[in-house]
Amino acid sequence: MDFLTPALDGFGVVFEPQNLLYCLIGVTLGMLVGVLPGLGPAATIAILLPVTYTLEPASAIILLAGIFYGAQYGGTVTSVLLRLPGEASTVVTAIDGYEMARTGRAGSALGIAAIGSFIGGTVGIVGLTVAAPLVAGWALAFGPPEYAALALLGILMISTLSTGSLRRSLLAGSIGLLLATVGRDPLLGSARYTFGSDQLADGLDFVILAMGLFGIGEILHSLERLRQGAPPEPRVGRARPSRAEFLQSRWAIARGTVVGFLLGILPGGGATMSSMVAYTVEKRSSRTPERFGKGAIEGVAGPEAANNTAATSSFIPLLTLGIPANATMAVMFGALLLAGVTPGPQMIDEHPEVFWGVIDSMYIGNLFLIILSMPLIGLFVRVLRVRASVLAPLTVLITMIGVYTIRSSMFDMLAVVVLGVVGYLMKKVGLPPGPLVLAFVLGNLLETDFRRSMRMFDGDVTGFLGRPVSATLLAFVVVFAVAVPLLSLRKKLRQPAPPDTTTTLERTPDHPRTAAEPGGPSEERQHPG
Amino acid sequence: MFQARLRQGRHLAGAAVCAAALLTLTSCGGVQGGGGSGEAAENYPTKTVEWTVPSDPGGSTDLISRAAAKALEDPLGQSVVVENKPGANGAVGGKEVLGRKPDGYSLVMLSQSLMSIGPHTVVDDDPIKMSDMDVISGLTVEDYVLVVPAKSDIETLDDLLAKKSVKYGTTGAGTGSELAQALLFGDAGVKAGGIPFDGGAPTVTALLGSQVDVGAVHVAEAAPHLTSEKLRPLAVFAKERIDFLPDVPTAVESGHDVVVDQRRWVAGPAGLPDNVVSELRAAVKKAFKDPEYGKFLENNYIGRWEASPDAVVKQVETAKKRYGELIDEFGLDLKTEG
Repeated sequence: MDFLTPALDGFGVVFEPQNLLYCLIGVTLGMLVGVLPGLGPAATIAILLPVTYTLEPASAIILLAGIFYGAQYGGTVTSVLLRLPGEASTVVTAIDGYEMARTGRAGSALGIAAIGSFIGGTVGIVGLTVAAPLVAGWALAFGPPEYAALALLGILMISTLSTGSLRRSLLAGSIGLLLATVGRDPLLGSARYTFGSDQLADGLDFVILAMGLFGIGEILHSLERLRQGAPPEPRVGRARPSRAEFLQSRWAIARGTVVGFLLGILPGGGATMSSMVAYTVEKRSSRTPERFGKGAIEGVAGPEAANNTAATSSFIPLLTLGIPANATMAVMFGALLLAGVTPGPQMIDEHPEVFWGVIDSMYIGNLFLIILSMPLIGLFVRVLRVRASVLAPLTVLITMIGVYTIRSSMFDMLAVVVLGVVGYLMKKVGLPPGPLVLAFVLGNLLETDFRRSMRMFDGDVTGFLGRPVSATLLAFVVVFAVAVPLLSLRKKLRQPAPPDTTTTLERTPDHPRTAAEPGGPSEERQHPG
Repeated sequence: MFQARLRQGRHLAGAAVCAAALLTLTSCGGVQGGGGSGEAAENYPTKTVEWTVPSDPGGSTDLISRAAAKALEDPLGQSVVVENKPGANGAVGGKEVLGRKPDGYSLVMLSQSLMSIGPHTVVDDDPIKMSDMDVISGLTVEDYVLVVPAKSDIETLDDLLAKKSVKYGTTGAGTGSELAQALLFGDAGVKAGGIPFDGGAPTVTALLGSQVDVGAVHVAEAAPHLTSEKLRPLAVFAKERIDFLPDVPTAVESGHDVVVDQRRWVAGPAGLPDNVVSELRAAVKKAFKDPEYGKFLENNYIGRWEASPDAVVKQVETAKKRYGELIDEFGLDLKTEG
């Protein structure tokens, strides 16, 4: 066990008093940044870069890494309490988390998210410690054809992401795919649907879309309820999950951890994809899928464990291959370079104190996070006691500040208001925003990588089948889109659907309907071609 | 974040003092935005200078800006705050800053790819023109290196150009990486298809995974993988061999007259008062001597290009013309799907 010696030496670096302090500052700052929507970890780390000039390389990276995984948890807080997902990876948390908050279980949702994040994060670090060099090469097998197939698979999963009817989910998803085409053509650079405006040249920003449709849209909707004299929001409830709730979520956390670890290693949107996949896995494997979208605790636990694990495992390609897996890692890459450390295969030999110091600091950082967050949950949920007439304008203000910090643009602030109205109208006509936002994220990936693949294959679509990984993923697509619906259709014909006590007239569980419409998903499949 | 807030506080205090002083002479409007160019320019700089990076945090433009801005603070005697305004290869941030009042408090980092390559590869009805800006100084030059995965059977540039068909990775539409390779394969008459990725890092990833046969990236982006022998260099697109890779031939040596690099400079809106320009130029010259800035460039294999404003303008115009001629000569069309 020779490799463990430097790993243990790394703890020596972490336990130096100033490094413990930087770790604590990092995770605290990260949590705050995560709570403020819009201001993401990438921007914060970039702002802090000059400050780290004067620090030892290990201290600098410990501080910055703390911001990164701290923000993963902070983002959950606004998703659950205000339905404001600040990061793509917390969109699915907003679905069930917000429903839990509305029924007085905000504390449980935040608590299970913290516990799931801690477990997922810690397992992720163990994986990072033991298996980093082994699994790093796996990410390289993922080229454009694999990403295209993965995105296609992800878009099919959208059907499971909402409580509305499948038809409406698909409609919302299609709008998302269309919105994704706004902006420069990713391969040629020519403008599409920009109406000659430079502001739209890079398309709509994900955060603006999510905060407009979810955040502002939800605020407008709740103001309407307020005017109609609807009963006030339910009481805050307990500040942490009960034992029963934990037992209910433990397998969700375990599954989310595995999904997050594997997908987090992939460059490009690993955390987002993993939270989505984790949600789908939970809904599919649940015996009571109709609870999802109405405050199922597994729908919070699984994705939260997944996105935190993914945040950790996304360090693997950076530290072992010198490949930044996402925007935040790209800034981290820059920070390492500034500190005179070149991330890559040689880093572990040349700078073991930085390599292991950073990894080991994550154990401590995760511990700090859970110690900090559990008592803070009680404070956070008290936000719900604030009167809507005070909370709503305050939320709008925070959102606006957050949006402005993304790229200091007035246009973006206008865009978020317009999208907020759109989100409100969608809610009125019963179109779910979740599928739209996620199709938007995946649509970019699907289009770009599909076209890259076609160039690689000289326009021959069968090229996808000639590569083992993309062929396997496409096989899953076929199973998802054709076989599963057919099978459950047969099952449904044989026995009538079980009576569902929670069903109301407006909210029909979508699962049986998924079964009844095998044509839906496969239509979607043809969209990119 | 905290530092920025502190700085702002200091700036507010400074502004208050100035306001009191100016109140007796003129209206206090002069303090807010720099006011009339004459008076405000005389004691330039009196407040924080904003340095806009027209791209995302983390890329070369961002890192160079942050290193340069930090080195500039001492000689200028004011804080220099870096702000990211990404979009459209730099056109969004560039246009915005160049449309502001020319008072020396708004600067922007611009690049040769936007001004010299973009017009040939990207359709834009309202591009930034050199006449929109007053250049302060050239800053850096980065070279492109042509690399293949170490596992590849391609050992030399001749091996590559002897292939029947080639799939090459580029760092995006309208980049030097795309242009250099399109020109090389066009000159050699090789059937080649370009696959654009979103910048240097994803291109390197694709190369490491052998998703493409060959690709061109900045030396800094390839360097760690050249050292660990995961990637093999075939040629550089510089005029002469570069210090970091003395054994790697230039494309010119191999008989293909393709010289493409990325140059960056800092500029303000056209019409800067003369004393502001000279103040900034003097400060930038001192900043170039800053040891930390020097170390940063060295660590990242970034060359110095500390050219005068006239030299910057000349370089951009020459490069634009030259690239246009080459594109026409080889009958390339980089504006449509090929």
